[in-house]
Amino acid sequence: MENPRPVLSVKNVSMEFPLPLDGSSSLKEYLIKLFTGKNSSRILKALENIWLEVYEGEILGIIGTNGSGKSTLLKIIAGAITPTRGRVVTEEEKIQLLTLGTGFDRELTARENVFLNGALLGYSRSFLKERYPDIVKFAELEGFMEQKVKNFSSGMISRLGFAVAAASEKPGILILDEVLSVGDVFFKEKSTARIQELMKKGRAVLIVSHSTDTILRNCTRAVWIEKGVQKLTGSPQEVCQAYLDYGKKRGEKV
Amino acid sequence: MKQTLFVIQELIAREMKRKYSRSKLGILWSVLNPLLSMAVLSLVFSTMFRKSIENYPVYYLTGYLIWSFFTAATNTAMTSLADNQALLLQVRLPKEIFPFSRVCTAFVNFLYSLAAYVVILAFFRISLGISAIFFPLVMLLVFFFSLGAGYILSVLYVFFGDIRHLYSVFLTLLMYLSALFYPLELLPPIMQTFIRQNPIYQFISAARSCVMYQEIPQAGLWIKMILWSSLLYLAGIYLFQKAKTKIALRL
Repeated sequence: MENPRPVLSVKNVSMEFPLPLDGSSSLKEYLIKLFTGKNSSRILKALENIWLEVYEGEILGIIGTNGSGKSTLLKIIAGAITPTRGRVVTEEEKIQLLTLGTGFDRELTARENVFLNGALLGYSRSFLKERYPDIVKFAELEGFMEQKVKNFSSGMISRLGFAVAAASEKPGILILDEVLSVGDVFFKEKSTARIQELMKKGRAVLIVSHSTDTILRNCTRAVWIEKGVQKLTGSPQEVCQAYLDYGKKRGEKV
Repeated sequence: MKQTLFVIQELIAREMKRKYSRSKLGILWSVLNPLLSMAVLSLVFSTMFRKSIENYPVYYLTGYLIWSFFTAATNTAMTSLADNQALLLQVRLPKEIFPFSRVCTAFVNFLYSLAAYVVILAFFRISLGISAIFFPLVMLLVFFFSLGAGYILSVLYVFFGDIRHLYSVFLTLLMYLSALFYPLELLPPIMQTFIRQNPIYQFISAARSCVMYQEIPQAGLWIKMILWSSLLYLAGIYLFQKAKTKIALRL
């Protein structure tokens, strides 16, 4: 281990959600609960005792099937939700979570979205003004910036999202949630190059994906989470192999 | 702190753009709306209340501006957390900024509609006295009152969506109890005492006396207004803080 000081540690994090049985949140349900004294919800254990340490310069891959708790873990790391137990320790002020085109307002133009999203990501106004041409150029959206985002293709939206999040120069922790699996081949190459560039500046990157391909190509280390349980942590090859074997077994059962 | 301010500015800019994104006249509606509403109500009621209310259109418009700020602020703040779910779960920002910027948006809208107010005041040759200086102070109290209500509603809406329908019925009731378009003296004395306790009525009548009647509101009224707005503001902040972690779980 070259650099033993983690920039981010996830310490024994567990997350439980109360799930209402019929999924509605109505007053009627509340009143029924109040009068019958019954709690009509069950507990969903989204994450159980997760331990993670991310070191400077690492690209950590988090792999798992849909609904395995990956996104919940990301939200906890980003500080948007508080875990039921355990905690996340980090020195880093800037933790940027980038998911595909969420946070973009479809009724606004691309330019307005860059500023809104940039503000939410923690960029200052002057920084955004200065970097705006680069963002547009990176996203390959010259001439489209005054269009409303609702007219954009999903590829265009994800390119813009990536360009805004990757515009940062200050080292921080960048979390990419399934962002690398879209866009055409050329953009994928460019975004991979940009991630490597950011990594050189001493930034840690977390990549979340259900594709072993993405993990193998980009990551230095990987974690496999299945149904909220941390199954394996190790080299990308090792983790992806275990994940694929598990997938095959599950396929045979069905 | 500076960053939070920048985010709030961007959020307000976005709400304003969204509000008029499909209309040709855009922001002009903020000015036209109160004028048209005033025209309609004056058409219907000004002959009826001719004796009891002087300058009926001004009487109505003063109340209407405050009323429509309050309803717009609280109605939009109510759904602000649910509407911004995607942003809320991504960024480590104080969650208050979402209802707060909706209330600010309604206030910006109110400021635009003041243009209509100025025109109408000039038209009816109402000259502003020193008492008009107190009008912004009344509006400041209305702002904090609405902000508190907005915080409370935004939290409630996350947990029971039905509150939206209940609130719209409540607003109808509240409107009739605010002497928005009729003279208070028309009602039996018991009702009058009751309505005088309504914070919205207090704000409206204070604004009317500041602007229309060149009278500085009495100390008793100020105390009541200050109590109402600080009570609601503090209750809103308290409830929001308490529910903060649960909000993210329910969204």
